[in-house]
Amino acid sequence: MNTTVMSLTARALLGRRRVLMLIPMPLVLIGLTLIGIMTGEEPAHWGPVVFGNLGLGVILPLTALIVGSSVLGLEIDDGTITHLLTKPLPRSEIVLSKLCVAWLVTTVATGVPLAVAGLIAGSAALAGGLVCGALLGSLAYCSLFLALSLLTKRPVAVGLVYIMLWENLLVNFVDGVRVFSVKQHATTFANAIAQSDMLDDTLSVTTAMIVAAIFVAVGIYGATTKLRSFALTGEAN
Amino acid sequence: MSTPERPTGVIHDIGYQRYEGPRLGRGYAARSLFVHGVRSAYGLGRSPWAKVLPIGLLGATSIAALILVVLNTQLPVEVIDYVGIATTFTYAATVFVAVVAPELVSVDLRSNLLALYLARPLRRADYALAKLAALASATFVLLGGPMLVLFLGMAFSTDNGVAGVFSELGGLLQGLAAAAIHAAVLAAIALPFASLTGRRVFATGMIIGVTLLTAPVSGVVQALGDGASQQLAGLLDPVSLLGGVDRWLFDGGLFDIGPYGPVYGLAALLIVAAGTACTVWRYRKVNS
Repeated sequence: MNTTVMSLTARALLGRRRVLMLIPMPLVLIGLTLIGIMTGEEPAHWGPVVFGNLGLGVILPLTALIVGSSVLGLEIDDGTITHLLTKPLPRSEIVLSKLCVAWLVTTVATGVPLAVAGLIAGSAALAGGLVCGALLGSLAYCSLFLALSLLTKRPVAVGLVYIMLWENLLVNFVDGVRVFSVKQHATTFANAIAQSDMLDDTLSVTTAMIVAAIFVAVGIYGATTKLRSFALTGEAN
Repeated sequence: MSTPERPTGVIHDIGYQRYEGPRLGRGYAARSLFVHGVRSAYGLGRSPWAKVLPIGLLGATSIAALILVVLNTQLPVEVIDYVGIATTFTYAATVFVAVVAPELVSVDLRSNLLALYLARPLRRADYALAKLAALASATFVLLGGPMLVLFLGMAFSTDNGVAGVFSELGGLLQGLAAAAIHAAVLAAIALPFASLTGRRVFATGMIIGVTLLTAPVSGVVQALGDGASQQLAGLLDPVSLLGGVDRWLFDGGLFDIGPYGPVYGLAALLIVAAGTACTVWRYRKVNS
């Protein structure tokens, strides 16, 4: 890890107006939780929709997609990656520093509102579980999307297809696909800690942990390998 | 004392000529921009990687339509009709606009290309409207393509001869009308957001955020509300809104909207108007 790379990345990511983009999502989450509480309906009724589908199923992957693919993607777009690559730093150190910042930012941006919503809706256990789920999920998502931003020129398009078509559509039809869905890993991990009826988990905790760890490892390895032989091409398309 | 040197330079006539052909004006420029927009939405004239996603989505929806043809002809009841295709594939269409809209406008914004477009007879509003029309047309193709597949399949397998074909044709026209409404609404939502930023990452994030974040909101309101609030909940997210419009106009949507059909229609119209106005207004402000 390199603190200079990390602080530069954090500044590029958070120093502009674009950080405001992250605000509406938590507001919607907390607002929906309040609506759910006020109607006095069974929490098991709306909990899975708000925490599972919206929180861990939309807000987490979307934040991770934006953050994870822009920590390196912005530098590639601007061509400033050349400055980074000419420094005597191991490629793995660059990748790990970038990933670390993306992980931190995503976890804070999704974990805090999830914790607040969890506290409003139920218990500290639910809040803790959701934060842990967000922690695991954002690491897996960020390393995947970071690798994507190096491997393709359209990381967002590919990531979006993964989130929308794979996790939100295909998982509903084909059960076996669940094993390879980060959303399911995060939900399972969250519920293992929270033990709440507001979360629907479908995997065993061990499977979820192992597959998520494989995702992270593949992401980091792929990004590092690609960065070793990275060629900056001028084409914007 | 030497005599001052006489200038030796000569201006040669190297045959420059004035352009005397026809001047293709504003309309031509706008049309070209529109055609270019539709082409680049599908990655035509670009690298193979640019084609993968849009063409892939179109291929996937067409193959799905082909499967539906088989189901429709083999099963005793009709599984899906033309409007049903528009309703069902709206989800894919949102992914499509989220990926394509930034493609159409963000690159121009980032590299400050607007000045070059405006050096032509094109005006700012023309640019905005041409891009909007291109996005809407590309989305229309995405939704209309599968309908055409379904029509061909059903027309060839009809039992009633020409009358059957004509009844299918009526359905197809209805479906295309629904597809046009869907395309207009989705494009009017997506393009204003895409024109805000020169970065494709953030543009896509904003567009998909609008559809993905609002869907659970209307889902929760629908699940918890009763009566009117349940029937009006669909107004809160674009996909359900379009489902409601389908229900009202073509009796095809998926959920109950009660007597509020016209409200859905009005909301769709408002979104198109507001989206167009926002895009035009936004391009009045862009530096060039």
